[in-house]
Amino acid sequence: MNSTKKINLHILTLLSFFFLSAFAGCEDNTLKRPEPGNPGSQPKETARTMGEADREYIRELAREFAQELRKEIGSSVGDVKADQPSKEKTFTEFSGLLDESGNPHPLLAHCSDTVLDFYLKHKDAFQISSINQLPKDLRWEDGSKENEFSSPDAKRGGTWKTFMSDFPRTLRTIGPDANGAFRRYLLDYNGVGLVMTHPNSDGYYPGLAERWALGEDGRTVYFQLDGDARYSDGQPVRASDFFFTFYFMRSKHLQAPWYNDFYGKDKFLKVTLFNKNTLSITYHSAKPDLVERISIRSIPEHFYDELGGDYLKKYQWVQEPTTGPYVVRKEDIKKGQSVTLTRLSNWWADQKKFYRNRYNPDRIMAQVIRDPSKAFEVFLKGDLDMFSLSKTDYWYEKLPDTHQLVSDGYLTKVTFFNQVPPPSYALRINSSKPPFDDLNIRIGFQHSMNFDLVLQKIFRGDFERMRTVADGYGKRSHPTLQARKFSVDLATKFFAKAGYRDRGKDGILINDAGKRLSVELLTGYKHLEDVLVVLREEAKKAGLDLKLKILESTAAFKTASEKNHQVVFSAFSSFVELFPRFWEPYHSDNAYSPSGKEKFTTDGTLRSDIVVKTSTNNFTQTAVLEIDQLIDQYRMEENLKGITSLAHQLSKLIHDHAVYVPGWKKPWLRMGHWNWVAFPEDWGPRETRDYAEFQVFWIDEDKKLLIDDARKNGRKLDAQFGVRVYEKHRINL
Amino acid sequence: MMRITLNPLTLRKLQRFRSLRRGYWSFIFLLGAFFLSLCAELVVNKRALIVYYEGEYFFPSYGAQIPGDHFGLGYSYETNYRELKRVFHQRAEGNWLLLPPVPYDPYEMDYRAADSTGFSPPNWESRHLLGTDKTERDVLARLVYGFRITFAFALGYLFLTYLLAILAGSVLGYFGGKVDMFGLRLVEVWSNVPFLYMVIILVSVMPGWWGLTWQISSLLLIMVLFSWTGMTYYVRSAIYKEKAKDYVAAAQVIGAGSGRIILRHLLPNVISTLVTFAPFTVAAAISSITALDFLGYGLPAPTPSWGELLKQGVNNLRTAPWIVSSAAGALVLTLTLVTFVGEAIREAFDPKKFSTYQ
Repeated sequence: MNSTKKINLHILTLLSFFFLSAFAGCEDNTLKRPEPGNPGSQPKETARTMGEADREYIRELAREFAQELRKEIGSSVGDVKADQPSKEKTFTEFSGLLDESGNPHPLLAHCSDTVLDFYLKHKDAFQISSINQLPKDLRWEDGSKENEFSSPDAKRGGTWKTFMSDFPRTLRTIGPDANGAFRRYLLDYNGVGLVMTHPNSDGYYPGLAERWALGEDGRTVYFQLDGDARYSDGQPVRASDFFFTFYFMRSKHLQAPWYNDFYGKDKFLKVTLFNKNTLSITYHSAKPDLVERISIRSIPEHFYDELGGDYLKKYQWVQEPTTGPYVVRKEDIKKGQSVTLTRLSNWWADQKKFYRNRYNPDRIMAQVIRDPSKAFEVFLKGDLDMFSLSKTDYWYEKLPDTHQLVSDGYLTKVTFFNQVPPPSYALRINSSKPPFDDLNIRIGFQHSMNFDLVLQKIFRGDFERMRTVADGYGKRSHPTLQARKFSVDLATKFFAKAGYRDRGKDGILINDAGKRLSVELLTGYKHLEDVLVVLREEAKKAGLDLKLKILESTAAFKTASEKNHQVVFSAFSSFVELFPRFWEPYHSDNAYSPSGKEKFTTDGTLRSDIVVKTSTNNFTQTAVLEIDQLIDQYRMEENLKGITSLAHQLSKLIHDHAVYVPGWKKPWLRMGHWNWVAFPEDWGPRETRDYAEFQVFWIDEDKKLLIDDARKNGRKLDAQFGVRVYEKHRINL
Repeated sequence: MMRITLNPLTLRKLQRFRSLRRGYWSFIFLLGAFFLSLCAELVVNKRALIVYYEGEYFFPSYGAQIPGDHFGLGYSYETNYRELKRVFHQRAEGNWLLLPPVPYDPYEMDYRAADSTGFSPPNWESRHLLGTDKTERDVLARLVYGFRITFAFALGYLFLTYLLAILAGSVLGYFGGKVDMFGLRLVEVWSNVPFLYMVIILVSVMPGWWGLTWQISSLLLIMVLFSWTGMTYYVRSAIYKEKAKDYVAAAQVIGAGSGRIILRHLLPNVISTLVTFAPFTVAAAISSITALDFLGYGLPAPTPSWGELLKQGVNNLRTAPWIVSSAAGALVLTLTLVTFVGEAIREAFDPKKFSTYQ
């Protein structure tokens, strides 16, 4: 059911392959804005290198000089031309980065020498072509068939008050510490990419590009930029910014290896500029979801000085000019307390289809409230507008349907059925650590985990058991596979096969050598301790002793990525995309060095002298030749049918390998909001994961006055909408 | 340890302590509660006290667990005795069993009822006298076992910090001079290591495969390691004061060695200073372990602990007030009693009453 999804802007979000602290119901916001008045201009000037400034100056002098000369000497110097007119001509006339005399192409005239050198060094990847060379038979798309997902009733204005559990450590969106919860306000929910994936359909809608077309080779996408596209500092988005994106993203100074790799030259083969509005990007393979993969964001070249070792420091507290509507003004950063974002009064996309009636609040104020329970109390006081109620105890006990604020019509509780790949809550077994190097122990372990009881008791039957390693990818998810059920008999049977036959005094199984069947379960989710407690008590019945190790989330993640765990309970956020990823979590190249087949002996078993590879997401240390081969094939496969079949085979193989104990998924999101917050009729788009994601809500200030007044006087309001369920996108399985 | 002969002065102090009724009875009560908690398995436990099954008696409270198969329940894991009681009752075959007054242990989730999803209020019928927590574990059971661990922890803490402090303090005080000069600097430096951070760091690197006892002991050691310094100063100054007295000189003249002088002559005279601090050290230990648990850096889950209960209680103030009131009540009661004891000891040992001036 849940098919094509999107990354678009979330290319960045991909990075967030870190533990979800989601569940907790905290919405963190941070916002920044550029300098007031003429934002961006100051950093730009200071950022420019001397070389560049000199060059500009000399060019300007030459121009003046030529004009003077022409005036004075008249026609005899008629062929001396100023820069400007000649530029216009060359647009169509010459291809290549430099002309015969070594001057940069006019599209790159503003580039610094270093940046230019970079392009020249990678001539194959950065090309300038004449517009005449643009294929003539392109079938341009512009998303005009898609429907808008905002509401025409939306009202502009007001301040959306939200919270974050920690003050952002930086306003950068890339580099150390940039991947925090606040980034969503700067980038993920704010910025505009080339083309955006439509959250209600499998199609796309325009972003920085107003039209796009798939090339004949299936690996190239052509984009026509929207002439209106501007950064928040007023500068236009230039085609060459998409060259610069790669220069920027591949820079070592960012200290962001993930981005270095994601934007690597092995993935993005070529960017070609045709004129100031037209470009194409070529990917390494012809994936079915090419458009969203390739829809990168633009990095404002004019804002970044030469990238140097001081990048992190220099841009720590400066917001990069954004293509989105919200900016952080310097005076709105209250260190340690709050950050407020302000809506641009003249945002370029303000009235465009797909953007109008969204991003409604004038201001977004994100204050620091470290404790979620405290934040909830603040919400009940009316000082936060919305609150996630996805946690069971919040939904049932802390804000029951009978709560006075709900029954009196002040608050609304919403259950919205969405369709997104669920975060992969699961137990990941490190198959390289004894006793889990034995398949029987792994299968026995799977049968000892009573997730059904967890779902029934802790989650009150609201969640569903996850079935496979790749749930939520529509047809790409295996159609019939089921997670192994809790069964003391089956568990003890498999444990016995592995030699654990007798029970010790405490009821835990022991093997012939007298070793107890005791394993450590690591997690970074303190808030899910109850789940583990239930699993632990139930596992005792199967004769398995689980020792819980609950660490702070980054420490837990580090331990697991160093492969020092036996079992880790973790979740990776899944991106809304067309098909699942197998390489990162299950390929042997992410488990051991050396890479490739060298780590296997001729009969397909692992060699003994291989080295564990750390800092990868293969938490299960899966290294199986057959799985490797399929994954390699899967990564090369360009046909959707082939991809589907391979995904099924892989899901089955990994199921048989028994390293992944599927946890749960929730088919909805739940939240509560004060009734001065209004939503479209269908509440939100199908792919909403977080109520703030698509920003279709609005703050009704008149209603706020009304409600405030009613609360003061203890009046009841119309409560017919106290508890609402939106089932439009519900999948009935 | 050293032998301390009770001199008449000490005896008088003890008599005085006994006469301070509030402190004395608090002391008796605390001690009693602790000893009672040591045999908590007989009072608060999911295992039955006695089972009579087909002519045979079983005493499951201590020792190896008995699988359900044994009593014909048809499973290989530990018998659920509450269920067994119902089964005996139904079958009426003359088998019987006796459950403890609170038939739950601190780990077990009582998910028996179909609608039990945590936070059941106190209920006499189901014997959840103080209600249940988030995963339907009995709050009273967790309080009792938590008390046992906390109090044992506090006593261990008391013993170890005093041992270290007395050792360091008497060496510094007795030898004085350069030993004192440099030793004291070291102590000062050490005492400035931020205690809480060290605990947090060390706890997070503690391997999970260590058993519970090991984990608790190492937590204890870590806490002791970073908090013994406070008492050192008192010991040192007390020793300084005492060693200037004539009896020490006399012992030296007779030829007694440093060890003998410290242990036999000085310490018994210093100890009364230390004793007055003891209850407060216990109170401090109880509060720190509770605080650490509250923050999540204390005892490993799911060990029953007061801090963890408090945390749950605070997070569910409105929905499950019985948790926070039980945990906070127990904590306040214990700390108050300890403080009563402390005050009584201080008063009983007050030097103004007993010092003789020469």
